[in-house]
Amino acid sequence: MNRRQSKTTRAVRSAVVRIWQMRKAFLLSIPYFLLLGWLYSGGVEGDIRPGELYGAREIPEWKAPDREHWFGTGPNGVDLFELSRHAMAISVSAAVVAVSLGIGLAALLTSLFVFDLNEGRFDWLGRVTRVSRLVPGMVVLVLFTGISGGSLLLAIAGIAGVVALHFAPVLARWFQEGEEGFDIVAARVLGLSRQEILRSRVLPSVLRRLPGVFATFVPVAVLAEMSLSFLGFTGERLSVGLMVAHGQAYLIEAPWMAVYPGVFATGVVLALSLLGWRVSTALRTGPLPRVL
Amino acid sequence: MIRHILQRLLVATIRFLAAGMGLLVLMEFSFLVLAGSKVHLWDATAWGAVPVELSPRPLDWSELLRLRGEATARILLLAVPGSLLIGYSWGIPGARLRRQRAATLLAAPFAALACVPGFWFVGLVAIYSYFHWHRPGFANELVVERGPDLLTWWHAAVVALPALVGAAAWQIRAVAAVLEREVARPWVRGAFIAGANDEEIFYRRALRRSLVPLLDLSDRAIPVLLGSLVVLEPAFRYPGIGSLLVESIRLGSYPGIFFASLFLTALTTIATLMREVLSPPTLSA
Repeated sequence: MNRRQSKTTRAVRSAVVRIWQMRKAFLLSIPYFLLLGWLYSGGVEGDIRPGELYGAREIPEWKAPDREHWFGTGPNGVDLFELSRHAMAISVSAAVVAVSLGIGLAALLTSLFVFDLNEGRFDWLGRVTRVSRLVPGMVVLVLFTGISGGSLLLAIAGIAGVVALHFAPVLARWFQEGEEGFDIVAARVLGLSRQEILRSRVLPSVLRRLPGVFATFVPVAVLAEMSLSFLGFTGERLSVGLMVAHGQAYLIEAPWMAVYPGVFATGVVLALSLLGWRVSTALRTGPLPRVL
Repeated sequence: MIRHILQRLLVATIRFLAAGMGLLVLMEFSFLVLAGSKVHLWDATAWGAVPVELSPRPLDWSELLRLRGEATARILLLAVPGSLLIGYSWGIPGARLRRQRAATLLAAPFAALACVPGFWFVGLVAIYSYFHWHRPGFANELVVERGPDLLTWWHAAVVALPALVGAAAWQIRAVAAVLEREVARPWVRGAFIAGANDEEIFYRRALRRSLVPLLDLSDRAIPVLLGSLVVLEPAFRYPGIGSLLVESIRLGSYPGIFFASLFLTALTTIATLMREVLSPPTLSA
């Protein structure tokens, strides 16, 4: 009866074990999807220009917050709660794309050096990132997006670049640390090549941490995108930053127009941050540098 | 020691020059490729006098930078020591009470406040100042003729507060993480078996051993703090270097953009240099 299991059975069993090991991360992805689903299920559609919504009118149609309109309405009578939800959906989408691109770019940068046999293979990467860290990330973003007149694509590209430059040395350190364990020495003694060790032993442990990195950086990127839009550097496109900037013109007559979109943004960023901390703790991502 | 300082100074100068070159390349790329400008950075026409929009009275660039730099220095004087003080004084007990997850609990209020967009905070301050003091804005037009200029410091403190909380939250967690890593090392078990109690192990040995990595954290939050000023200063209409950068970008002023971003880079370089000079030579090398 002591029969060897088939390859399929072993593969299924190991997959089940891995899923069980990552159960916390999977469970935490449920509130993520619920939050994103709720943000995207708003009734506002189409290309909305905040300048038109908040433009000065002879007889403003705004209403103070009540049961029907929780956040009140704008000068043309549009519901600010729905508008904030739509704006946050755009900001979160931009942040998700930017952070994904940034992590991918960092992985690409690191992969240029990781298979090098030289001991100091990450030295140049370290030097470049040490110099780039001297320029505050927000300064780079403001220069990149502001000088060119501003657009969402440039903001995404800028955030991705900053994330990549700050995350690449961390990724390099993880690879270096991954090659120092006793199991790696044993694998070398057994005759595995360096590429085999990196692919089969080090890479899975590095990849396992990446969702934690993603979850930690997304709320930071959302805040950065909103800040750029507040400064007017992401073009005339709906964002909570631009809503707050336009709403400040009516701060005395209709304070809800600047205050409530900010409350909404704070709530979403807080929820994303809490989820990010939980995911990074569950996956043991470890400390990450402050990016923006 | 002098050799160590000179070595660090040389490295910092090279890094600063490289960062300055990087800024020039970024500006040239943004102006020429993204904005479609015809003027190169090396054209003499790009480097004009201070635009009237940046300063109502005639000033040269050095004078303007000095004035704006002084204003930003006030914020940094409040925010940098504040974040370091909170970070170290809360992070160390946080690590000591690690079993109760004290570091997370102590950092939680700051981390929650760091989720508040700084530019939105300005609206709350403006509403408060209008409804309670019956004054919109931030007392810009008031001139203090006698006594200490508390209004200027109040204005700086309002800008420094949102910048400080994010830095403090990160600093608390980073300090606690360094100490928690140290007390998880095998020597702690040995010391405990040898008869040392928790307090002695933590405060006398672990803290002493972690002094260098703790010192290493002292400049980490500064680039992010300076970056946040680029958003906060224009939001609060505070006449600092961050405002100068954003106003110069809006006006398309090459010297304003370059000098302001170089100034912020210089501040980061100085902070890094000070940390490296204070660190033992082996660590800096």
